[in-house]
Amino acid sequence: MRRREFLAMAGATAVTGFSIPRATAQVANWPDRPVKLIIPYAPGGGSDLIGRPWAEALSQAFGQQFVVENRGGAGGMIGTEAVAKAAPDGYTLLATPGATLTILPLLRKTPYDPAKFVPCGRTGDFVTGFSINAQVGPKTFQEMVDYAKKNPGKLSFGSAGLGTATQLRLEMLKFKAGLDILHVPYRGSADALNDLLPNNVQMMNEINNIPHVKAGKLHLLNINGPERHWDFPNVPTLTELGHPNSDVPIWYSIQGPPGLPQEIAEKLNAKMLELAKTSDIKTKLRATSAGLQPMTTKEMVAFFEADMKANAELIKAANIKLE
Amino acid sequence: MALDSLLANLALGLSVAATMQNLMWCLMGAVIGTAVGVLPGVGPVATMALLLPVTYVLPAEGALIMLAGIYYGAQYGGSTTAILVNLPGESSSVVTTLDGYQMARQGRAGPALAIAAIGSFFAGCVATILIAAAAPPLTQLAQKFAPADYFSLMVLGLVFSIVLARGSIVKAFGMVFLGMLLGLVGTDVNTGNLRFTFDISDLFDGLGFVPLAMGIFGIAEIIANLTNPERRDLVSSKVSNLWPSREDFRRSRGPILRGTALGSILGLLPGGGAVLGSFSAYTLEKKISKTPEKFGTGMIEGVAGPEAANNAAAQTSFIPMLTLGIPSNAVMAMMIGGMMIHGIIPGPQVMEQRPGLFWGMIVSMWFGNLMLIVLNLPMIGLWVRLLLVPYRLLAIAVLFFCCIGVYSLNNSANEVLFIAAFGLLGYLFIKLDCEPAPLLLGFILGPMMEVYMRRAMLLSRGDPWVFVQRPLSLTFLVLAGILVLLVILPFIRKGREAAFQE
Repeated sequence: MRRREFLAMAGATAVTGFSIPRATAQVANWPDRPVKLIIPYAPGGGSDLIGRPWAEALSQAFGQQFVVENRGGAGGMIGTEAVAKAAPDGYTLLATPGATLTILPLLRKTPYDPAKFVPCGRTGDFVTGFSINAQVGPKTFQEMVDYAKKNPGKLSFGSAGLGTATQLRLEMLKFKAGLDILHVPYRGSADALNDLLPNNVQMMNEINNIPHVKAGKLHLLNINGPERHWDFPNVPTLTELGHPNSDVPIWYSIQGPPGLPQEIAEKLNAKMLELAKTSDIKTKLRATSAGLQPMTTKEMVAFFEADMKANAELIKAANIKLE
Repeated sequence: MALDSLLANLALGLSVAATMQNLMWCLMGAVIGTAVGVLPGVGPVATMALLLPVTYVLPAEGALIMLAGIYYGAQYGGSTTAILVNLPGESSSVVTTLDGYQMARQGRAGPALAIAAIGSFFAGCVATILIAAAAPPLTQLAQKFAPADYFSLMVLGLVFSIVLARGSIVKAFGMVFLGMLLGLVGTDVNTGNLRFTFDISDLFDGLGFVPLAMGIFGIAEIIANLTNPERRDLVSSKVSNLWPSREDFRRSRGPILRGTALGSILGLLPGGGAVLGSFSAYTLEKKISKTPEKFGTGMIEGVAGPEAANNAAAQTSFIPMLTLGIPSNAVMAMMIGGMMIHGIIPGPQVMEQRPGLFWGMIVSMWFGNLMLIVLNLPMIGLWVRLLLVPYRLLAIAVLFFCCIGVYSLNNSANEVLFIAAFGLLGYLFIKLDCEPAPLLLGFILGPMMEVYMRRAMLLSRGDPWVFVQRPLSLTFLVLAGILVLLVILPFIRKGREAAFQE
């Protein structure tokens, strides 16, 4: 016992005596060893498409490897939890879509508090919109609305799953335009696409629709985002279509664990803002239908709160429940 | 498609695939694939995930050729562990354990491995030609399937799975149902309810196939071998010939042809394509065999058919991915990830916009298959020698690789604990004389069946007639009904029991 107490005291002295200057030095020198960037989904998915180009760009910019680690499972909860419990030293960061932070916690009890993550930078938004199978008939947003009003309950919409950003988009459409469209949840967007192409479901809202829009199998009705899609300059945004504040972007960001020193977040943020201007990251992201919306950490906090609020209202209005 | 345009396309593909560099990537993929296939548990998905970042620096063609090589290479390697140590590395090699491992225990591991490799090679070549000649029309065929049709196909599959069992039919039913129950664990897709998860977040996505299969097959087999030295010595004592006899070849010819045909068709379907392919090939061989009672005791037909089928299916599963951008399994999802990293959005436009890439990849598959057979046949002697390693060392090595393999799937330590639990369960099954293969099929097909049924009902707005109104669905249901009737008709049942209980 005595020995243990002594060790504990020695440890405490070490913490109080030496750790503060060391911590400051650590912050100033960050990153002086490889940084682990946890993506809370399986490899090869959408989060990789945005996270990995950033990891590469940041590795070059800082001269330290940013290593991507996929920790998939439980709708992103497992990987997000791992970062929430990691040491806040800047060497374990989270590269995540908004869903794990501003949707999932509204629907489930999550083992982390989303508000405690420290935002470091926006990494990009997937830009797409509602698309409809060409066999159905409607070619524009208005035509689809007219069709759905004339045939209530006839259209089906395939989403990537319950409580995903895609489902929220449908609920928003139903809510704002007063439509009756059936929601069919799938296990991921590829699964849903498989039923969209033979017209088993008629509508979706995912980036994997884009190639089929280009091939003429689907019509893209609108863009969910503040700006039009670079490849479809004729397709209007929802705001332009008369539904302001309706855009639920699929936004991605890098977040630090609770307690991450603000200096590290700012250092990373500054570098990301610089890379957005100087490097070819924008071109790389655009190839996968992702747009870049750089933000300061302060802007991110406001954005995060607004997104959380909008999602909460939608979930309430549409009465989405998971258990 | 006109023949001359096909030839022109193949020539273009050849010009891409036959460059020194791309041949090298192809070889590299094949070698890595064989290696991860042989290591129990380390599957192609985890390997491709690890290598995905590396492909950043490669040209798109080289990257995809290598990734594809890893996949079909792993199909060759995967059967090796199934045959030698009763460890199915992938769901599609589950049925290979049934007769392959029995052959190994009789000292006939060499012929089993050789036939598996030759069957795979043949199936790979045929499926490659199929992809080249008929990818777009075949895609159209697969698109005829609506959720209701998938459901009925799964019903038929489950009824078939009973036939897999060697022992009593009651036990086989029990195992299928237990498998379906285990498959229920996880988040319900339609309501988001958590079933049997006990607040363990590793269970939210359900139990993994790999920990379950490894535990029930591999670990249980190790425990059984350790407790019973006679059982174990059987494996290493009499390694006879390495090469299949003329008789073996003669018996395997038909199964390889039929397996290739079945696998090629079922590989097009999303989800369980390769699994359905391999076990329907097994069922078919057992059904048409003159000696069905000998299946499960080391029949070479039971290795040749399924191995050809799973390789054919592995190859044709590229078709929906290449023509529509739809991944039919986790590996194809990884390939799509690899394409997107190179700024290629998979979909119908790839064939037109990047013909070099599309046809180059297809031609490389043929090169890859050729490399694999050249690599694998001389290795057989080496693999069989592995059986001569003292069991106390081999067992530890297998356990070690199982742990690494399971951990590498999701970086989850809990899943390593799961294999221990399933190992004990599997040992119990051995003691109770229950066949684990039907359990695994129930585990795979049950949840898929549920998802498709509920989706079909959602889309039909609650009208159950959808299952009989669609001709495809009706056909499958009628076939399943006939099979059930055959099983319960007392006369046939009597004959069946006689046949099955020997």
